Amino acid sequence: MNASPTTPSVTEAAQDKVMKHTCDHHAQCMKVIQAILDDEATDAEKEHFRVNMDKCIPCIESYRLEKCIKDSLNQKIAKKPCPESILNTILSKINS
Amino acid sequence: MSVAMSETLTTNEYTDDLRYEVFNREFMPHIDSMYNFAFRLTMDEDDANDLVQDTYLKAFRFISSFEQGTNAKAWLFRILKNSFINDYRKKSKEPSKVDYQEVETTYNSEEASDTTYTVDLRADAVQELIGDEVANALNALPVDFRTVIILCDIEGFTYEEMAKILDIPIGTVRSRLHRARNLLKEKLKSYASTMGYDS
Repeated sequence: MNASPTTPSVTEAAQDKVMKHTCDHHAQCMKVIQAILDDEATDAEKEHFRVNMDKCIPCIESYRLEKCIKDSLNQKIAKKPCPESILNTILSKINS
Repeated sequence: MSVAMSETLTTNEYTDDLRYEVFNREFMPHIDSMYNFAFRLTMDEDDANDLVQDTYLKAFRFISSFEQGTNAKAWLFRILKNSFINDYRKKSKEPSKVDYQEVETTYNSEEASDTTYTVDLRADAVQELIGDEVANALNALPVDFRTVIILCDIEGFTYEEMAKILDIPIGTVRSRLHRARNLLKEKLKSYASTMGYDS
């Protein structure tokens, strides 16, 4: 199965190959998953992720969760514009 | 207080015209991000207003230590974060003010609790949460943990930029982020449970 690592389907994948239901080195995997999502992974980490990502259910679930949280933080939290009064105060102070 | 990035201490020649030009071109475009960062640090609109204003005035005063062509946003965020620590944190109204060292020891004893740490939270449950719930979960974190998540996930800074903004090694950025996210998952989990999304 060649599903994109961003949308792995657990059920489809399970039919094609033996899936791991437990992860013996999940702490290490979580670090790689974090690095991948933050675009800070080394080439070795990227390769490890590419080769192993669709074989381990706990890691697939973790990746989905971490990505979902990161996207939620980025997209859902309201961003306020800086009040105009602050802007004007700053400009008037540096020009005085 | 030194506001310069450690490696950009060299003073550049700035004419008066150039000071204003650089200020308007490099610094002003980041004012909304700065305001939101200040608000999420102080959790108070008046404090956020003062903090942004103080930061921009400092940035103008110390503009000769800003090296053109380097990351202005990271430079400004660093000044803001230092002002927050030096001027605001002491009088902070935040009830759960947490001693930084204590936090680091409790949560960041590197591998200690990492190995078996998982929060029973599903992506679907997070997807159902609205922005205010995500924001409240973030705001419930101790400020040092809140800060790394804001810088990384909301503002999109690299680990290297975060290390400079926070004056900590990259390895500490990585591990603090890891701990922060685990704490955030716990907060999100309790929101999801309250809302009945995660039953």
